[in-house]
Amino acid sequence: MSRIKIGLLVLSVVIIAIQFVQPARNQNRQVLDADITRLYMVPENVKAVLKTSCYDCHSNNTNYPWYANVQPGGWWLASHIKKGKAELNFDEFRNYSKRRRQSKLKSIASSIEDGTMPLPSYTLIHKNAKLSKEDKTLLLSWVKKTRDSLLLKN
Amino acid sequence: MKTLIFSIVLSTMFFAACNNGTPKNQTADNTTPATAEGPKTKGGSIETGSSIKDLLNSYLKIKNALTKDNDKDAADGGNEMVKTFDSFDKASLTAEQAKVYNDIVDDAKEHAEHIGANAGNIEHQREHFETLSQETYELVKVVGAGQKLYVDHCPKYNKNKGANWLSETKDIENPYLGKSMPACGTVKEELN
Repeated sequence: MSRIKIGLLVLSVVIIAIQFVQPARNQNRQVLDADITRLYMVPENVKAVLKTSCYDCHSNNTNYPWYANVQPGGWWLASHIKKGKAELNFDEFRNYSKRRRQSKLKSIASSIEDGTMPLPSYTLIHKNAKLSKEDKTLLLSWVKKTRDSLLLKN
Repeated sequence: MKTLIFSIVLSTMFFAACNNGTPKNQTADNTTPATAEGPKTKGGSIETGSSIKDLLNSYLKIKNALTKDNDKDAADGGNEMVKTFDSFDKASLTAEQAKVYNDIVDDAKEHAEHIGANAGNIEHQREHFETLSQETYELVKVVGAGQKLYVDHCPKYNKNKGANWLSETKDIENPYLGKSMPACGTVKEELN
């Protein structure tokens, strides 16, 4: 066999082998008590936008795309989800302190305004997660309303 | 033959790398209790943990770096502040002071972390600095600064929404606008 053939053979063995290393799935199914929708008024249309554009990385339930089953795609995805959840988890919102809730809402608004979220690398594949102008206005006004109501309570 | 050996080496390396994932985490877990014990013994015998003065020093380091548009020094200050929070001597606080401290600590620490992690993105550091300033102010207000501090206000920051900061000097040096508008702002309050 030629060198190239052997190389390709080994490479394909490796690729097949890594398919068996599947990261654990981020899927919880039930709505938890700590969920943001149980804490604040979240209108249905806002909820829908949050679900499609944010929840894949910022909740306990990821809607997995096809490439999650192909390694190393799934690993890459898992690391993003881990980071995303550490930063902000809508399903754990109640567990944040009052101040942290305020800060999280502030950061949500600024990331949407600056266009840093959803991640461009994510919307490249997930076209429907891209926020339209209307989506942005909707989310921003919801965040503002929620923040104002929190300020009144304090 | 060489290629074959090379490929085998490569694939074993690859698997070794994969397998390392879990043991590595385990060693990390093992070291955590060890480091957790560290400050305890330190706090008991040699020195008490960090104080409000240490917190303020790291805060002012961030502030001064931002006035000079220096994102790297601001990040250093942020990381320092995280450490200071971690080793903070809560026992020295009264019940009322502890209440405010507990109220702000997790959020303030997170802001400091973000400032530490965002060298290269000074605007993001400033966003976090804004809330961090507010929280530091509230803490100083009940705990006392132990030094003269000025509460300054910049009306222009964030599309004229304005923001406050704490300074050790009476002269205005704006951390939000940096070198582009160093003297923008006024002293709102003086703390002793």
